[in-house]
Amino acid sequence: MENVWVLAALWVGLALVATLLAIWFRISTALTEILVGTVAQLIIGAFVIQAGLGAKTGWITFLAGTGAIVLTFLAGAELDPVIFRAKWKEATMVGLVGFFGPFIGCTLIAYFLLHWSWRSSELAGVALSTTSVAVVYAVMLELGFNKTEFGKAILAACFVDDLGTVIALGLIFSPFTYKTLIFVVVSVGIFIVLPFLTPRFFSRYGGRPSELEAKFLLFFLFALGGLAVWAGSEAVLPAYVIGMVLAGTVGKDQVLVRRLRTLTFGLLTPFYFIRAGSFVSVPALIAAPLVFVVLFFAKMFSKMIGLVPTVKAFKYQREEGLYYTLMMSTGLTFGTISALFGLNHNVITQAQYSYLVATVIGSAVVPTVIANAFFMPRHLLPKDESKRETSAGVPQVSEVPMEAE
Amino acid sequence: MPLNVDKPYFQKILVGYDGSPLAEKAVDVAIRFGICEKSSICVLAVARLPEPATTVEVGAVLDDAREHYERGLAKVVERGRSRGVEISTDIVVGHPAEQLIHRAETEQADLIIVGRRGTSLFHKIMLGSVSERVLRYAHCPVLLVK
Repeated sequence: MENVWVLAALWVGLALVATLLAIWFRISTALTEILVGTVAQLIIGAFVIQAGLGAKTGWITFLAGTGAIVLTFLAGAELDPVIFRAKWKEATMVGLVGFFGPFIGCTLIAYFLLHWSWRSSELAGVALSTTSVAVVYAVMLELGFNKTEFGKAILAACFVDDLGTVIALGLIFSPFTYKTLIFVVVSVGIFIVLPFLTPRFFSRYGGRPSELEAKFLLFFLFALGGLAVWAGSEAVLPAYVIGMVLAGTVGKDQVLVRRLRTLTFGLLTPFYFIRAGSFVSVPALIAAPLVFVVLFFAKMFSKMIGLVPTVKAFKYQREEGLYYTLMMSTGLTFGTISALFGLNHNVITQAQYSYLVATVIGSAVVPTVIANAFFMPRHLLPKDESKRETSAGVPQVSEVPMEAE
Repeated sequence: MPLNVDKPYFQKILVGYDGSPLAEKAVDVAIRFGICEKSSICVLAVARLPEPATTVEVGAVLDDAREHYERGLAKVVERGRSRGVEISTDIVVGHPAEQLIHRAETEQADLIIVGRRGTSLFHKIMLGSVSERVLRYAHCPVLLVK
């Protein structure tokens, strides 16, 4: 499709449909965008135009890539540095185990059981090694765990886990050359300087309608992203670390974070998630559904095998059930970013990409469902039937139709 | 057990609030109870997150919910005060029915008041009705306002 505006209208229209579905079903917009992308590509590709949604068009690739970068930056900026400093030992240990368990487990399962190539298997390991900080945080908020020492340690561990994923993605698949060295040295220098430079720069020139803050951040995100790609790495790696190092300053600036969110949700992430969904091959999923099942259970078991002894070592025994359930959730953002990286760099085939994205979605949804099923009845079910009757013997329920006052 | 007529029957009332006209009506009913029974009233708003949550979306939903509910709850407190009734408010995160039931249990509420919206069959099947869940699982009497 050559008409840019028609193509733009189609993509934004799909984003609108995905958002409505998310509102109706009360599910994540990211999830509906992936699903809408998959279905739209299937229908349009089969019945309208063979090229389908035109997901490989330059400007769509740019918008989707920017979406992934800014989304990753914002995810890193959610880190609470105070909590991390207080809990860094547990967080690092549990987070590293949370990363290496599924990374090693899924890599070996994909290689030996599914007979994928070694690099494809490693990519599967990376894509399924993440833990969704958001799912953990959401359930913590619901149960009030976010204020406990246990909850804080878990959250910090999730960030370490995701950091492991982006580092693995950025370094495992890139050839180690002088470019890698330059990328690492320059990045580390900028990571050290940015927390000092940014607040001073913002306090001197910020707070104007020209949105200097957003331009400043986008400049560093694009510049380091460009350097990462030049070195054969992935642009989201520096974006996540920039988010983490600026979490104590930019992350606390609610107005700025809100503006970036508007930009991200309103324009960028729909392109990212719909594009990620459009590469999913439904025929491949239908042809070999067992691959999805194998990858799903590989992730669950390998995560659990690593975490059970580690968590016990830190004497977090009472909340184990909750902890394991939550830590098994895969982040949609990092999971799809890893899979898309593999597809773009020819590390995996489109069929393998489809299995990985399906597993990412499955391992994001299933633990949430389990967590709900496991926790809802405990709060909802009455402990004793006799408690359902009030002492004075009045009816349990009153249903009073009332006129507006 | 003999009925103690000197003691207010509903000492602690919990009201579910979502900013809708029915929720406002539920608050008005609670205020009437507050005037007649000298009850203490707590109005609870629940921010519901999408599932599975994604990092940036959670922050956005929480910020929006806080802003939306804080504005509405401030008016509720003012409305109560103008009629001589003190109202406490809170915003929590989770499933509305679960959070209401949980709060009612922990605060030992004597009555829960919620608005009952006309939920479509589709929503009832897919998501369930909040008022029906509260009705089924609450430990205390529940008043549904239509």
